[in-house]
Amino acid sequence: MATVGNKNVQAKLVLLGDMGAGKSSLVLRFVKGQFFAYQESTIGAAFFSQTLAVNETSVKLEIWDTAGQERYHSLAPMYYRGAAAAIIVYDITNLDSFVRAKKWVQELQKQGNPNMVMALAGNKSDMIEKSKVSPEEAKVYAQENGLFFMETSAKTAQNVNELFYEIARRLPKAEPVQHPAGMVLADRSAERARSSSCCS
Amino acid sequence: METDSARESGEEENGFTQPEIGDDDIDNVAEDFRDGLGLLSPKEKTMEERRNGTLDSDNDSDDNSRIRTVDENGNADDSSRIEVEEGQSDSSRIEVEEGQSDSSRIEVEEGQADSNRQIAEFSSENNNFVEGHKEISEAREHLEDDFSEQEIEVEAPTSPSSSGYAGGRGSSSAASIGSASGSEEIRDALRSGDGVTECFGNGNGEHRGQASWAHGKRYSNEDETSISWRKRKKHFFVLSHSGKPIYSRYGDEHKLAGFSATLQAIVSFVENGGDHIKLVRAGNHQIIFLVKGPIYLVCISCTEEPFQALKGQLELLYDQMLLILTKSIDKCFEKNSKFDMTPLLGGTDVVFSSLIHAFSWNPATYLHAYTCLPLRHSTRQAAGAILQDVADSGVLFAILMCRHKVISLFGAQKAILHPDDMLLLSNFVLSSESFRTSESFSPICLPQFNPMAFLYAYVQYLGVDTYLMLLTTDSDSFFHLKECRIRIENVLVKSNVLSEVQRSMLDGCLRVEDLPGDPTLPSDSLSFRLRRDKNLQVAGSSTGTGRNTGIGGPAGLWHFMYRSNYLDQYVASEFSPPINSRNAQKRLFRAYQKLHTSMHDKDVGPHKMQYRKDENYVLLCWITQEFELYAAFDPLAEKSSAITVCNRVCQWLRDVESEIFLLEASPLSW
Ligand SMILES: Nc1nc2c(ncn2[C@@H]2O[C@H](COP(=O)(O)OP(=O)(O)OP(=O)(O)O)[C@@H](O)[C@H]2O)c(=O)[nH]1
Ligand SMILES: [Mg+2]
Repeated sequence: MATVGNKNVQAKLVLLGDMGAGKSSLVLRFVKGQFFAYQESTIGAAFFSQTLAVNETSVKLEIWDTAGQERYHSLAPMYYRGAAAAIIVYDITNLDSFVRAKKWVQELQKQGNPNMVMALAGNKSDMIEKSKVSPEEAKVYAQENGLFFMETSAKTAQNVNELFYEIARRLPKAEPVQHPAGMVLADRSAERARSSSCCS
Repeated sequence: METDSARESGEEENGFTQPEIGDDDIDNVAEDFRDGLGLLSPKEKTMEERRNGTLDSDNDSDDNSRIRTVDENGNADDSSRIEVEEGQSDSSRIEVEEGQSDSSRIEVEEGQADSNRQIAEFSSENNNFVEGHKEISEAREHLEDDFSEQEIEVEAPTSPSSSGYAGGRGSSSAASIGSASGSEEIRDALRSGDGVTECFGNGNGEHRGQASWAHGKRYSNEDETSISWRKRKKHFFVLSHSGKPIYSRYGDEHKLAGFSATLQAIVSFVENGGDHIKLVRAGNHQIIFLVKGPIYLVCISCTEEPFQALKGQLELLYDQMLLILTKSIDKCFEKNSKFDMTPLLGGTDVVFSSLIHAFSWNPATYLHAYTCLPLRHSTRQAAGAILQDVADSGVLFAILMCRHKVISLFGAQKAILHPDDMLLLSNFVLSSESFRTSESFSPICLPQFNPMAFLYAYVQYLGVDTYLMLLTTDSDSFFHLKECRIRIENVLVKSNVLSEVQRSMLDGCLRVEDLPGDPTLPSDSLSFRLRRDKNLQVAGSSTGTGRNTGIGGPAGLWHFMYRSNYLDQYVASEFSPPINSRNAQKRLFRAYQKLHTSMHDKDVGPHKMQYRKDENYVLLCWITQEFELYAAFDPLAEKSSAITVCNRVCQWLRDVESEIFLLEASPLSW
């Protein structure tokens, strides 16, 4: 959920995608500027937060890096529930991961917040010579489904900051009435009032 | 010296690297497994001391009571047997007589009467396991003939790698756990690469960071036809009741489909007779079976560990699987008996390999107790108070650990945390590198607490080796747990707990050399360390009762391990010379394990005391209502002085108990 303060926005962002697509690598590149060739498979989900300045606004992203392993799929709603934004990641060298990415998009369209800002990230662009997914196809798919698309590389950092900044830019700002996501803001505060726990 | 041995330890049970004697050469001391099975007249083996309280050293007959430790002919024991857990009656068993002759047979005696028996015959050339495997295959074919009309779901044994496995990935798998599968094999191969270091921590053979087992699947290119695979000393397999491989310690489980089917056939053959298979002995190999609903676990071992110990290891392996998936996995098999479980365990090889590694160094795996990091009482209390505080705010369990040792823990009212759950939970967290990178919030199941349901674990490292786990039943409480963690961390930093933890890790635990000469000396904080210098002077006089070899503690005390039965906690002394090589440590570990098994043998015991002597050590075990004490001495140590020293150890531990045990854990009494 995006929460608006005095030019402060707080938003929950979830990363989804097949195991090995590079979700953790993208987050670690963005948050810590690190990359590991042998990044360990995530268990459950890892939490990060990062604040970035977009124009005059400071946007605090609460980032959920979920596990792509199959056994965690049924638990994904626990992490994407109430998210203001999602990055769906696939590995451009792995066609299956693209198929899987589309399934995630479908699931979010069905279950998620209808005003969610969604990005499709074709990761590992440094391995372009092994690409199995054409960027054109991905772009068309993204457009049709209301996502924005980028090819990224956690390894070279290409487009990583751009990806997260673009998310931040698209988040609803201080004009909740004009932005459909304004409704969601209300939801969030109602939720907060009901309970002190706010993972959702 | 430690780093070298770490490498060896990584190769444990790897027949490859040690053609001569390796970690498993513990066994010039012949072990008698039938003992574990209660088949041997056990009285010849053990000495019992009925007295409670302190040990008496003046019992002359003791010297005769030395147990039969070596059976010279033990290795030549040609008779192998399959032992079957009886249904209702006493008389059912399978026996395999495997002599020099070419004919061996499996004999199943049914519960009710002799009349109802089935015999399968197969041939064997020798005791070699590889042959044993062939035999089993043949036996299996035999079984299929016999039961062709019944449902034995197996693939052709001749094509190990074509298993029809991929077909098993059905949409039904989505039913209770997840949706369709991905392609993880390549990925796993990718990840199981290098990029990890190995080194030894101090103390009790624990490991710091990742040892070589942390590479995930080892030798994944092997299959049942590989010589190297056949030579492994200890295999672990998990398979489904339809014969599908789920996990294999060595080799790629997908390539082991044929072998899996073989194991499945053996299990179902016996089950069809209304029995449960427990053990097959083939030469110097034991094949141990554990059936858990639709999941079969098998250990094939020539390490000569007792049957009960290996069975306990299979139980833990199963529970580790439940910790990851919960017992609701059974439902997937109800929906589709050919359900393929491997995708659901993607990326968890490292968890299992680290657990299997623990079977050869971590006493918690058979003592069913946990161990604490030594700390000043006030330090542990400070940690305990803040944990209790958060536990009162809706956290089910708050656990603060440093590697495998507990700093403090607290549970919500009436919540009971079993030591096995702690072992498996810490193994899971320690073996999964991804917990070190960030805060995480993951579903986990504590099998002893509730095997059916997930709890949610907030895990965060507070230092290099120190990590906090907050467990809850509420999947929405991440931010609450995060706040709890911040509060806890603040308190721990303020009260210097974290720095004391670091110091304690460096200092290690109790050392036999520090055993106080005079048990009546008053003890102060961390007395076992602070008095060290003093003890060096006292040492000369304190050994008057025993023989001082120049190494180890008084009376030739080399090592001890003490389990408090009230607390379900144990403490073990640091390894010191001459138990300093990894092999020596492992040998002692196995000796204790064997001692533990025989002490708890239901058919023979429980024993109060056992005194064993062989060329490696004098081993002494003493069990009372309050505690279990295991001690190893120089083989030349005198019995009377050994017993005196054991009494002193107990006194010592009583004096420092507030530093080595978590005493305020009473709400967790299980
Ligand atoms: N060449 C290249 N490799 C990458 C890139 N991003 C990630 N990787 C590698 O791909 C592997 C998987 O990356 P992770 O970040 O762990 O993937 P994940 O999506 O988090 O996987 P799960 O946690 O299992 O869901 C790691 O070995 C990374 O080093 C990239 O941009 N280029
Ligand atoms: Mg990840």
